[in-house]
Amino acid sequence: MDLALKEINRLPVPTWNLLGINSADINGVPAVTAPYKGEYLSELPEGVSISDKTVYAPEIDTGMGADAQKFSENNKNCGATLRVKAGVKADKPVFLRYRIDGKNSSVVDVTCIVAEEGSEVTVVENYSSEGGAKGFHGGLTKIYAAKDAAVNLVQVQMLGDGCTHFDNVGGAAEENAVVNILQAQLGAGEAYAGCKVKLLGTGSRLNVDTIYFGDKKRKIDINYVAEHTGRKTRCDINVNGALMDESSKTFRGTINFLKGAKKAVGHESEYNLLFSRKVRSRTAPLILCSEEDVDGQHAAATGKIDPDRLFYLMSRGLSETDAKKLIIKAQFQPAVEKIPDPSIRDAVFDYVKERLDSVESIS
Amino acid sequence: MKPARKKTKVKDIDRTIYDFKDKVNPSFEVKEGLTPAIVEEISQKKGDPEWMRRFRLHSLEVYNKLPIPSWGPPLDGLNMDDIVTYIRPKAKMSAKWNDVPDDIKNTFERLGIPKAERESLAGVGAQYDSEVVYHNVREEVRRQGVVYTDMESALKSDKYGPLVKKYFMKVVPPQDHKFAALHGAVWSGGSFVYVPEGVKVEIPLQSYFRLNAPGAGQFEHTLIIVSEGADLHFIEGCSAPKYNVANLHAGCVELVVGKNAHLRYSTIENWSKNMFNLNTKRAVVDEGGTIEWVSGSFGSHVSYLYPMSILKGEHSRMEFTGITFAGKGQSLDTGAKVVHMAPNTYSNINTKSISKDGGYCAYRSSVKIMPDAYGCKSSVSCESLMLDDISGSDTVPVMDIQNDDVEVGHEAKIGRISDDAVFYLMSRGISEQDAKNMIVTGFAEPVAKELPVEYAVEMNNLIKLEMEGAIG
Repeated sequence: MDLALKEINRLPVPTWNLLGINSADINGVPAVTAPYKGEYLSELPEGVSISDKTVYAPEIDTGMGADAQKFSENNKNCGATLRVKAGVKADKPVFLRYRIDGKNSSVVDVTCIVAEEGSEVTVVENYSSEGGAKGFHGGLTKIYAAKDAAVNLVQVQMLGDGCTHFDNVGGAAEENAVVNILQAQLGAGEAYAGCKVKLLGTGSRLNVDTIYFGDKKRKIDINYVAEHTGRKTRCDINVNGALMDESSKTFRGTINFLKGAKKAVGHESEYNLLFSRKVRSRTAPLILCSEEDVDGQHAAATGKIDPDRLFYLMSRGLSETDAKKLIIKAQFQPAVEKIPDPSIRDAVFDYVKERLDSVESIS
Repeated sequence: MKPARKKTKVKDIDRTIYDFKDKVNPSFEVKEGLTPAIVEEISQKKGDPEWMRRFRLHSLEVYNKLPIPSWGPPLDGLNMDDIVTYIRPKAKMSAKWNDVPDDIKNTFERLGIPKAERESLAGVGAQYDSEVVYHNVREEVRRQGVVYTDMESALKSDKYGPLVKKYFMKVVPPQDHKFAALHGAVWSGGSFVYVPEGVKVEIPLQSYFRLNAPGAGQFEHTLIIVSEGADLHFIEGCSAPKYNVANLHAGCVELVVGKNAHLRYSTIENWSKNMFNLNTKRAVVDEGGTIEWVSGSFGSHVSYLYPMSILKGEHSRMEFTGITFAGKGQSLDTGAKVVHMAPNTYSNINTKSISKDGGYCAYRSSVKIMPDAYGCKSSVSCESLMLDDISGSDTVPVMDIQNDDVEVGHEAKIGRISDDAVFYLMSRGISEQDAKNMIVTGFAEPVAKELPVEYAVEMNNLIKLEMEGAIG
């Protein structure tokens, strides 16, 4: 554990250095990664083929930046390249389940998803750890969605507090392609996530749904970039989170309308509930615009639970803590319900419930 | 035959009234570039007290150590070695308009300054290049105990010298950034205002800055102290003719708002389009006090302008209303900063920006809520209007919240004139041309209505958007 990745998750347009939001550093990155022991890939649906060769796609940038990408590519110890044949709509999701435990202390997975014309696939990446295990996860996922293709990527991270984690996503969408990304950043001592998707083709779309949960001293650092190049492209980024104890979070979300992206629409929102005096929440929602005929909007709201909502629930007989737990659960529900596998869905709810139960009172 | 489709054209602001130039006729001018010797020379010519001389030299050291900002629009074309830091016009400060030399008087007459004074202002200060040439306060305001004078007189006066020493560059220390340090080293001119406890100044005070010499810098220092329970509206206007060399404006505004006091600071900035406007403005607000910023940015080649409010006392508040209009060759990076240091403080930022003809606007802000500042509320709203596809507009807000008992909201919107709105107005019998006109005027209206009448008129002149309808 002696490497550091400097200046990852860079804000596309920097601002005052004093705010400390322009980029982040990851410390404690392992210099050597041992091969991953064990099975992680589920049975493949028909029409999806696999190889262990990484796809070289220079046109794809990632949200965390070139250094993090290079690190994963050079130190890869697991992952797969999935190719979906043209016109194939995969009948079941592809699951990639990784676990940090006594056998594996580091997971560096590189996953490439190539969806050929008109195809559709769902890929679920799930990261968990054995209680108390120390470890590192640094993943790279590259997505290429050809014309009319649809790629659903679900990433669920429920690592223990002893782990450092990063999720680095890069993607490109051609004409009328759709990329849906769902990220649940629920665990790890330090969690970094970056995602950059280029909407190249006319009518291509990106939907990002993210939930994060901070407790104890967790540090969460997120950087999303939606780059609109094509006409009539659309992105929707919805982020919901809750921070408790001494956790901190930095969220950067950028919608970038490049020249030529006429009739493009980009919407972004972040809702963040705070439950402790000692939390720290930093947000930088950017809109960059070099095109006139666009519609860009962002909204962010941060604060305590609406007292009226709390009062209502308490008037129905819930204790204050239970009412707050219910509200946090409700905050996560819409995103969690999009997870295609019921066992992972339940695991997420159990995980959040367990975390909340360990809290006796929520301030 | 169907006429060819035409793009909507918005005419540029007519700047000709600001573009007249006087012959540069200084009585004293320091050499270009910046060395300790030059700073000493300025200090000596100005007859600074010893502490100020040392302060200037210290600031110069800081200036040499600090890097230029790593963010924001490019500062290419600004070569400090080419900027003349201190130019004293051939005029002594005067309280009688008739005593001001003719060419300088004509300048301000053409800009309408004395007329504005006669009509609606409590006092006027006018600065020409580096020196204040005219200062006048109405008798009734003076009788209230209000002090409105130029910085140098205040610095040297026995009565106000200690106040200047107490506050000078304490709100904005030279270490803040490179151009604040530069200001500390070479500042010259500016206004000093002191409003005693409980005094309400009914009509606004105004100062007007005019930079005439080519390749020069203006570094005026404004220090306003509004004591407990007092009330003041201060207006600042700036202009300069256009030369082919870069000019620099690195002024500094320090506002001290006392307990339960109220200060409104309005600015209409219309520097010529070769100006690098790197101005620093900051207010410290005590318990129950209010600072209101009204800011219109129309001129300059490059602007870095973010008035900052430090809400130091409980229940203090800040409001910021701003409009930025960037045309051809302009990169205007504007916004606001606020730090909630005390509990139950309140901030509200509302900005509009318009980009056209290759202009670039950036809205940049920072809202910071400190760990012990509970019960704070902050709301930010910024809207950007793009009038063509060769312009640019960025929104770069940051929120940093360090406790949970807050309500922070942020919204931003970017886009062009809505077709639906134009269609709706047209369905009511309004021509397309007029409809677009109405929409753009309406967009800027929330800012215009915050300005005093004579400035709203100036702004309306500035945003005289002549729309040519799109056909087909």
